[in-house]
Amino acid sequence: MLGIYVHIPFCESKCNYCAFASFVAKSELQKKYINFLLNEIKNCPHGGDKVDSIFIGGGTPSCIDKKYIKKILEAIKEKFDVIENAEITIESNPNSLNLEKLKFYRRIGINRLSMGVQSLNDKQLKQIGRLHNKKQVFEALKNAKKSGFKNISCDFLLGLEKSNFIKIKSMLKSVKNKVKHLSCYMLQVENGTKLEKMLQEKKIVLPDEEKTIKVYDKIVKYLKRHGFERYEISNFAKKGYQCLHNLKYWTRKNYIGFGLSAHSLYKNKRWANANDFENYFKGNKSYIETLTKDKIIEEIIMLGLRCEKGFSIKEIIKLGYDIIKNQNFNDYLKKNILIRNGDKIKINPKFYGVNNYIIANIL
Amino acid sequence: MDRQKRIRNFCIVAHIDHGKSTLADRLIERTGTLAKRDMQNQLLDSMELEREKGITIKLTPTRMMYNFEGEDYELNLIDTPGHVDFTYEVSRSLAACEGAILIVDASQGVEAQTLANAYLALDNNLEILPVINKIDLPSARPEEVKKEIEDVVGIPAMHAPCISAKDGTNIDEVLKMIVKEFPSPKGDENGKLKCLIFDSYYDNFKGAICLIRVFDGEVKVGDKIKMMQTGKVFDVNEVGIFVPFAKSTGVLKAGDVGYLACSIKTIQDVCVGDTITDAGNPTDKALPGYKKVQPVVFCGIFPVDGAKYQELKDALEKLKLNDASLQYEPEVSQALGFGFRCGFLGLLHLEIISERLEREFNLDIITTAPGVYYIVHKTNGEVLKLSNPSSLPTPVEIEYIEEPMVKANIFTPPEYVGVIMELCQDKRGIYKGLTYLEEKRVRVDYTLPLGEIIYDFFDSLKSRTKGYASFDYEMAGFERSDLVRVDILLNGEKCDALSIIVHKDKAYSRGRALTEKLKKIIPRQLFEVPIQAAIGNKIIARETVSAMRKDVLAKCYGGDITRKRKLLEKQKEGKKRMRKIGSVEIPSEAFMSILKLDDEDK
Repeated sequence: MLGIYVHIPFCESKCNYCAFASFVAKSELQKKYINFLLNEIKNCPHGGDKVDSIFIGGGTPSCIDKKYIKKILEAIKEKFDVIENAEITIESNPNSLNLEKLKFYRRIGINRLSMGVQSLNDKQLKQIGRLHNKKQVFEALKNAKKSGFKNISCDFLLGLEKSNFIKIKSMLKSVKNKVKHLSCYMLQVENGTKLEKMLQEKKIVLPDEEKTIKVYDKIVKYLKRHGFERYEISNFAKKGYQCLHNLKYWTRKNYIGFGLSAHSLYKNKRWANANDFENYFKGNKSYIETLTKDKIIEEIIMLGLRCEKGFSIKEIIKLGYDIIKNQNFNDYLKKNILIRNGDKIKINPKFYGVNNYIIANIL
Repeated sequence: MDRQKRIRNFCIVAHIDHGKSTLADRLIERTGTLAKRDMQNQLLDSMELEREKGITIKLTPTRMMYNFEGEDYELNLIDTPGHVDFTYEVSRSLAACEGAILIVDASQGVEAQTLANAYLALDNNLEILPVINKIDLPSARPEEVKKEIEDVVGIPAMHAPCISAKDGTNIDEVLKMIVKEFPSPKGDENGKLKCLIFDSYYDNFKGAICLIRVFDGEVKVGDKIKMMQTGKVFDVNEVGIFVPFAKSTGVLKAGDVGYLACSIKTIQDVCVGDTITDAGNPTDKALPGYKKVQPVVFCGIFPVDGAKYQELKDALEKLKLNDASLQYEPEVSQALGFGFRCGFLGLLHLEIISERLEREFNLDIITTAPGVYYIVHKTNGEVLKLSNPSSLPTPVEIEYIEEPMVKANIFTPPEYVGVIMELCQDKRGIYKGLTYLEEKRVRVDYTLPLGEIIYDFFDSLKSRTKGYASFDYEMAGFERSDLVRVDILLNGEKCDALSIIVHKDKAYSRGRALTEKLKKIIPRQLFEVPIQAAIGNKIIARETVSAMRKDVLAKCYGGDITRKRKLLEKQKEGKKRMRKIGSVEIPSEAFMSILKLDDEDK
């Protein structure tokens, strides 16, 4: 079944670490964009396909006029065969949510709320340019529950200034009973971001990356103890709450992205829309690629090893690569770096984070 | 006999950088052998590598015509290499000549190789003609240098032409002297054929080409000839001279220098230094002086890609054809697979061969640390000669080991005697004496283990004496020495290609330096990798490469996997340079890095 991704490239302000396609924009541009987006959905050549997941991401989808969200969902439902109980997610910031908006989202069929929390330390939040504070996070969580959201996810960032295991653990502790899903990432300093400049000017001091990686390993153990399984490198969920849409990316299910810089995979063809408004409005793509057999094999292994489920040997062999004859592959199995469970191969979680090295050796 | 009277066969010898190739170019130019516009600078250094390093490796003979007092003379110039590593190549060329021009730099004066080459020429009964070069330099002191030549070398030099090969000053004087002073060949044109092979190279169309000097008789196309060393018989397909490019002449007679091709496919059939004679009417005595050269420096050469073993073998075979001093035999390393143990005349020779393999044959190779060869006396009375550290028996089986020694003569201004002695002591040298050659030049004599000087002795000497000292050495037999093998263990597994043999007193510092260096070179792996240096079972140094750093886990936005793919591509690219030793991956340059150890510790 097909997944649909919709990109809303607007934010109230740009976070200091963000190098992604998001813009602080006037309402006219938003209006123009949404109209174009609706057209894009309407003209999609793959209409009629069954859809079981929709993900409205950004940017900050929760910061735009909620009626736009409704129109988008209507357009999708009109074009595609969205099944009942499809997973419909919206990304949000705590400060742009209120009870009324949340109730509205529920009414139009959104059943999963993903919230960019990043930290529960007000000083840290301010430093990275987030507009919300700790209080607003709990307020939003309370309202989400009140409006009937059962499937809530929070994003956290590791590696912020003065961040350490104790601090992160206490943050996670305070939300762990209020959410079903957690995504934990590490702060990465991207070229051209405000964060990069702050670092150069020594306005911020970040902990050593290696330390953060160690903290991450501890966090993984902590979350496991509290019922959050690491089903993908940086995603953790309580039983039955894995993000269906996210999994589509890792298991190479078909997904179509609408909007600026949105990526798609459909029948082994990948493409992405342009990264700027001018080109996007012209209907330009930033790339189109029909995957060769070798690339497909590489993707199955690369993406599969990010997940708890791993990849299927049979599938690889069927594509013409007899992986069981690869010496490194067998070596890794022997050393318990790769783990075999019937037809499935997964990575020993201890070695998440060095995937590329392992993958390069077994291709 | 008249014909031979108008032939002069000569070579040019000099200390490195005293201007040999430049003079050769000028002679070719002045005799009109080549028009100026056709000249590439330093024409005789035909290999790209030679030109880059400014040194001559390979010999190329050239025939020039020169008119002197109304008579046309045929001047055959045989260029020679100038580096200490190539003494045997020089001696082969000398054997083909009657005269030698000895170039001396007008400011630097007599250097180590000036002396060594002059003696070599004297040994070959050549007429020696000193020429003072670089008189255009402000620091030139031609009169002093002339006296130096008379005092140090012991040959008359007062009438030596003072020239500038660079500017072309006084080149005619040199040409006149060649005709007047050098004897003409005095072979027997009607005698039995006797030619010296003084060089050879491989041509893809013609097979092995022999560069020859005819001493007696004549050789022409269609003749049946015989190689006296190997006893092989061939039909002559082509005979000619170099002007300086190959030009077929059909015949070469007594006194001539040229080439000969006989579709020789097996390159081992051509031994440089061998005598060629007529197969039907052979001479009973071969020319003297043929000797098999003994390599002194050894290392392993392996293809980076194991599948390229055959290609490496073919390449070595081809190089061997015009480099008789190169020796090689198959070697198997646990770490590096199939390759060759190669013997060289010196470090420069090693470097040149490995560079030629990479450039001319397009091979990626791994070179192991160079070493010398040892004589090992075992407790059971057996005596082994070995150059490969990994074939050294265990300490309990060894009665004692002998290592090769050299007699080193170091020429230096007196103020550097102190630092030179310090360096030699550090290299386990034994002081033999000090001679004042003149007020500003001293010769320091030491006996040193060859194993100590093949690493960085030359570089250290140059840097400690600001380039003023020069040095020359000759082999001086074997001496008993307290040597041990230091093994390198990666993750507990011995890596044979990294073993070295060193003196006991230096084992600890060397082991430590090696592990430290390897720690810098070996990238992080999935697991922590201990790097240990050991003598037998005793660990003498240890370093650890920590486990591989994990990647930062960043958000993957909206199904955009292109970034993950890019990272993977980068990883795949880096993997190509890696060699797997047991469970540890190490980059191919690690093996050679042992050689550079001392450089960086300075």
